[in-house]
Amino acid sequence: MDRREFLRKGGVLAAGTACAGALPWLPACSSTTTTSTPSGEEGSSSECKYGMVVDLPKCRPGCTACLDACRKENNVAYHGDPRWDVHLIRKVTVERTYPVQGPKKPMLLLCNQCDDPPCAQACPVQATYKRPDGIVVVDQHRCIGCRYCMIACPYDARSFNYKESEEWPNHDRAKSMHGVPESCTFCAHRLDRGEKPACVEACEKVGAKVLSVGNLNDPESRVSRLIRDNSVKALREDLGTKPKVFYIGL
Amino acid sequence: MQVKFQTIEGKSLQFYLLVAALALLIVPGLYSTWRMYEDGIYLSGMTNRIPWGLQIILCVFYIGASAGSLVISSLYGIFGKIEYKPFARIAVYLALLFLIAALLSILTDLGRLDNLTASASYFNFLSMLSINPFLYNTYILICIVYLWAMLREKERFVRVIAVVAVVWAVLVHSGTGAIFGFVPRELYQSPLLPPSFITAALSSGTALMILVILGLFRLNRRPLDHELVVRLGRLLAVFIVIVLYFLFVENAYRLYMADSREAACHFLFTPFNGTLFWGGLIVVGCIIPAVVLFHPRTGKSTPWIVFSCVLTVFGVLCERYLIVIPGQTHPPELLPNMEITSITELGAKYCLNEGIVHYTASIHEVFQAVSVLALIGFMFVVGLRLFKLMPTEAKIYK
Repeated sequence: MDRREFLRKGGVLAAGTACAGALPWLPACSSTTTTSTPSGEEGSSSECKYGMVVDLPKCRPGCTACLDACRKENNVAYHGDPRWDVHLIRKVTVERTYPVQGPKKPMLLLCNQCDDPPCAQACPVQATYKRPDGIVVVDQHRCIGCRYCMIACPYDARSFNYKESEEWPNHDRAKSMHGVPESCTFCAHRLDRGEKPACVEACEKVGAKVLSVGNLNDPESRVSRLIRDNSVKALREDLGTKPKVFYIGL
Repeated sequence: MQVKFQTIEGKSLQFYLLVAALALLIVPGLYSTWRMYEDGIYLSGMTNRIPWGLQIILCVFYIGASAGSLVISSLYGIFGKIEYKPFARIAVYLALLFLIAALLSILTDLGRLDNLTASASYFNFLSMLSINPFLYNTYILICIVYLWAMLREKERFVRVIAVVAVVWAVLVHSGTGAIFGFVPRELYQSPLLPPSFITAALSSGTALMILVILGLFRLNRRPLDHELVVRLGRLLAVFIVIVLYFLFVENAYRLYMADSREAACHFLFTPFNGTLFWGGLIVVGCIIPAVVLFHPRTGKSTPWIVFSCVLTVFGVLCERYLIVIPGQTHPPELLPNMEITSITELGAKYCLNEGIVHYTASIHEVFQAVSVLALIGFMFVVGLRLFKLMPTEAKIYK
């Protein structure tokens, strides 16, 4: 191959690459999120939008029922190494530092299912998207594993599957493959079946009733009532991401 | 005055040894990438709190270096400064290679290489990481056309494509700055990041360019007018001053505003970040080279110019680290006026590493980084032999 031919072929190859790069501009608008018909846990309505209320004063410091249930239900990877352990829901202890020193209180952190999710905005391939019912999910078969969603999430709510889990407690659900991020989906698969999320169920089973998930558009749902009747706070509302996990007693 | 270009001879034993060595250095990175593809990227030093590591730092560095090279070529291509024509081809070729290196760095970093086709079939207009690969690919294409036009001596077309290339380079680098500037993280979010990204890019790119030019002309024993190097050095000094200015504005703002002060302190005054910022970036990477280059005596001496170029490149590497890592090691402020105090009560099983964390690159990441560098080194050396990139001489025409 002489130099000219080399250049010519190289040029054709590069042009092809660039065209392939430009191609997605065309169908971008048409590729939207998959549709699902959420039934809603209670008081189901056609325009369902899920939200969660965490009643923190009821949460017991030593209890891990919701955390364990989540890990089991969703096959959440646990390697015994905090660098790579996946967490869909985390329990931490918080303490007020200003203006007065406060007592230590338990606190649950999870994906806020933002109405304007920065992770979905950041995802280069639309693998992370918001379902019509407001739940933010990851399509693990489309995700390229760039982790920009984790960078974009202001809540550190996403974990990455740095390696594959050895345990597989719930065979009804696929095990997460390595190389993709994960975050809480309010157990969307259970909500779709009309069941409660695993954490909510576990919390009720121990008689605490800290967690409730339900339809925010239904004024009679438990979450709507709790939000109406209590002073609730969401995390970093100043960012404008419109988080849908609300805390009582924070 | 006609500038003549020639391929390098490339028949010496040293040449073949260099090519072989570069080819060999590619191998470990391939192995690491394959291991990560098979087993997962826990083999890197990244964690759930630090999802972006060495490859992203280097990717950002390469993209910057690419801009600087292109600016040198535009001195001839756009401004018609004929004395820089001898460097124009090498500059564009380097710009092209640096961009390829940047793309490869991202590729080695992906968690699911097998889903890569998704990035060609799905596009997200809102995602900076979707817009940028498009910009990068087209930029590579533009560089190739630019290079082709120069190799074929199509002078008028070169003028046109040079303008397109520089405009596109500005887009590419603003876009890359926006990857970090446009996310809600305390030490990332900043509208100043795209322009300050471009200035750091110009300084590192020019410094690398001077080093490459000096090395190439010396190794191939071709005459190089000293005055040209001095002028490029001056240009570099100006870029460095602009970098300093942007750094000052950005950090002064963060420190001044109450809501970002704590994060700014983490960035500026913790032992490791502080050393990198004040020592590596400000003193070693900016002030010393600027003083050396502006000084009437040292600014004219080749060893001093080389010295300040090396320092500048080092400084920009520090800067790239400081763009990518501290924004992640610093925890997001989820609960104002509250502190996440204890994670030990239930054990580490139930929470992340909250608070401030650290990042150390693993050996596999280093392998990958070396591999990418070796690959573009290989392409550069072979390119010099295949294409007429090197001028027979470089001097100022009167």
